[in-house]
Amino acid sequence: MTKDFSTKETITWCPGCPNFKILKAFKAAVAELGNRNIAIVSGVGCHAKIYDYINLKGFYGIHGRVLPVCLGIKMGNPKMTVVGFGGDGDTYNEGISHFIHNYRYNADMTMLVHNNQVFSLTTGQATATTEKGFIDGSTPLGLKERPLNPLIMALESGASFVARGYALDVPHLKDLIKQAILHKGFSFIDILQPCIIFHNVVPYFQKNVYKLKNHKQEDFSAALLKARQWDYCFDKDKKVPIGIFYQKTSPAFESYWPQLKKPWHTVLRKPNWQKIIGEFK
Amino acid sequence: MEKLILIGGEAGMGSALTSHLIGKIFCSLGYYVFNYKDYPSLIRGGHNFNVLKISNKKIFSHGSKYDIILALDQKTIDLHKKDLKKNGLIFGVKETEPIVQKLQGPKILANDVLIGTLFKRFGVDLKILLHSAEKEFGKKSNLIAKAIKEGYKIGKKKENLKKSKSKYFISGNEGIAVGSLAAGLDIYLAYPMTPATPVLHFLAKRQLENNILVFQPENEIATINSALGASFSGARVMIGTSGGGFALMTEALSLSGMAELPLVIYLSQRPAPSTGVPTYTAQGDLKFALNAGQGEFPRIVVAPGDAQESIIRTQEAFYLSAKYRMPAIILGDKHLGESNYTFDQLSKSPLKAVSYPLDRANSYEHDKAGFTTEDAKEVVKGHERRLRKEKIIAREVKKLNPIRVYGKGRNLIISHGSTKGAILDALPGLKNFRFLQISYLKPFPKEEVAREIKRSKKVILVENSATGALSGVITEETGLIIKDKVLKYDARPFTPDILINQLKKYD
Ligand SMILES: Cc1ncc(C[n+]2csc(CCOP(=O)(O)OP(=O)(O)O)c2C)c(N)n1
Repeated sequence: MTKDFSTKETITWCPGCPNFKILKAFKAAVAELGNRNIAIVSGVGCHAKIYDYINLKGFYGIHGRVLPVCLGIKMGNPKMTVVGFGGDGDTYNEGISHFIHNYRYNADMTMLVHNNQVFSLTTGQATATTEKGFIDGSTPLGLKERPLNPLIMALESGASFVARGYALDVPHLKDLIKQAILHKGFSFIDILQPCIIFHNVVPYFQKNVYKLKNHKQEDFSAALLKARQWDYCFDKDKKVPIGIFYQKTSPAFESYWPQLKKPWHTVLRKPNWQKIIGEFK
Repeated sequence: MEKLILIGGEAGMGSALTSHLIGKIFCSLGYYVFNYKDYPSLIRGGHNFNVLKISNKKIFSHGSKYDIILALDQKTIDLHKKDLKKNGLIFGVKETEPIVQKLQGPKILANDVLIGTLFKRFGVDLKILLHSAEKEFGKKSNLIAKAIKEGYKIGKKKENLKKSKSKYFISGNEGIAVGSLAAGLDIYLAYPMTPATPVLHFLAKRQLENNILVFQPENEIATINSALGASFSGARVMIGTSGGGFALMTEALSLSGMAELPLVIYLSQRPAPSTGVPTYTAQGDLKFALNAGQGEFPRIVVAPGDAQESIIRTQEAFYLSAKYRMPAIILGDKHLGESNYTFDQLSKSPLKAVSYPLDRANSYEHDKAGFTTEDAKEVVKGHERRLRKEKIIAREVKKLNPIRVYGKGRNLIISHGSTKGAILDALPGLKNFRFLQISYLKPFPKEEVAREIKRSKKVILVENSATGALSGVITEETGLIIKDKVLKYDARPFTPDILINQLKKYD
């Protein structure tokens, strides 16, 4: 394993894609945490290629199902640090039910969403977080719906850690990822990752993104207020806050199950047959 | 001795529990019991009934003519009186109501009155009944005991039961569950769906004493994807569902094949298409189990024929799935899952599943190390790496009794899964017929099946379906064509009398 967790695979993201920055921030975060007992899980989309570029345990799942796989890895080995990488199409379209339910479970794992507000790998259709009016191959008459706000959704679903990062601010993102991994419970970061081919809003973000300051992370109402500040649309110049919106301590999934102590493959089993079938006589 | 007893009433009146208790008491006296459960998809009201066949010989099915009807309501009598044998008996509300009133207890006590009256007839000691009721319902059963005693008082002793060694009374679903425990199950995940749900309940209730995790995820898609995550971590995992849930799982079933992640899936069929007839039985998903999932990948499909086979086949599914790193589907149905069978002994297989964690699992085509590839040569290698396992596993399955032949006749009945019971019990009534049970549908025991077919005069397929899917599977695997089919697609299982009627014309 190379020191910076690189692999020999050729990186096939477009030159200049902000996904490179997310990769960099994640690798730096993991290096600083010094934790190697990490499994990464990805969905399907441009974001998901990250599986091939990181030399850690990895599960390249199917489109939209990152979170159930993360939860399963945690069930199978509660000692494992699990980090999921999803796209906005992946997480907020195909996999939205898992996104909501995993806040109820609150397993100790982290979800990083590369939110480029577009289906990129399928050449640029609108997702659940694309702004109203967006024109593309599947919506030539302009997208009619308003986007959903994943931060509000997470907060209202009972999330214990909600943050937003910006791929083009690597040091800040690295810090967020570290704190998310260290959080005991399910942590979620929506990462603004403007697609430079199909949804280039870099100038807007460069102008309007700002870091949360003097924000009380444990104050739910303040978190909601800040989450509402930007509605994922670009019609007028609105400020786009990044940082940790909300964090609270709440019991993690693993703590509810006395059975979840160690990896199952290390549990010695000697089923007592006579005892098992005793009740049928 | 052979007796058929029907117990019926509205949902919630207790016929299922009572039939189970009656079955258990007969088993404890050394008798063989088969318990068929018939209930519509509702929670209170309607009409539920159970049919118990009790015999001093081994039996595996119920029947459609009754010696005794135990009625918890008038509707039971109105509906089933026509199927009462000559000199048959009915015990009903007329007998139970005065006693329940006298005891000032809940209506449910009618069940216990009936139990007392029934067993008095067979000369069974009251103490045995009271003991069994206490075992089933716990110590708090003071009123229950009283009701049994009162029922016993009004009953008339007519027969003397000979006792022998007590037996095991177990359903197909319970067989699947204890088979998984014997195989070393770590995690069971399921979203509720009849008729697989009893496995979820059984394992959930016993999870702490067996040190396993039982969890109900948000839907079937989450269920199978979490199961694959856990399998990746090195856990032995089983999931359970019926056709509709399995349909939702198919994308990830293919992932299990592609990423070579072991996974055991219990697919308990019910009459479909779509929501179908949820609480009844059918074998319509054979081809679905064999073909579900995009792309070409190997799998195991095994169909147990009774509760004992459910134990052994579940263990084999775990063993093969782990060893050959592919999904294994245990194909059952409502009739297998929810009927109770009787055995002298319950045995398990010595096979165990060996599990270990992986470093990489990939849904894309990948090289040996698990990295994504689109290279033509690597794609070919990937296919060959996975499909090669089909041949190797076929050799091992040959040693696991993939088929069984019962009886000696020149004509051949072919079937799979839960029809085994009715066919076995029909055989004595069918001269010149033998029965080929196919337990492994994938890998398919081609040579064995072809040999039996070629040795037979007439070959008849029996299946609880509208199209007889197994005949198509046999043709695909062996090139042989089966024209004669006895099919049943009214959502009810076969009984031996129906089979004898329909099969004898072929001789
Ligand atoms: C079940 C399923 N439906 C559709 C697809 C096709 N598909 C591949 S990537 C993708 C969208 C990816 O969008 P997103 O998750 O936002 O990731 P991005 O490419 O933008 O990083 C889709 C729809 C698929 N692979 N699987």
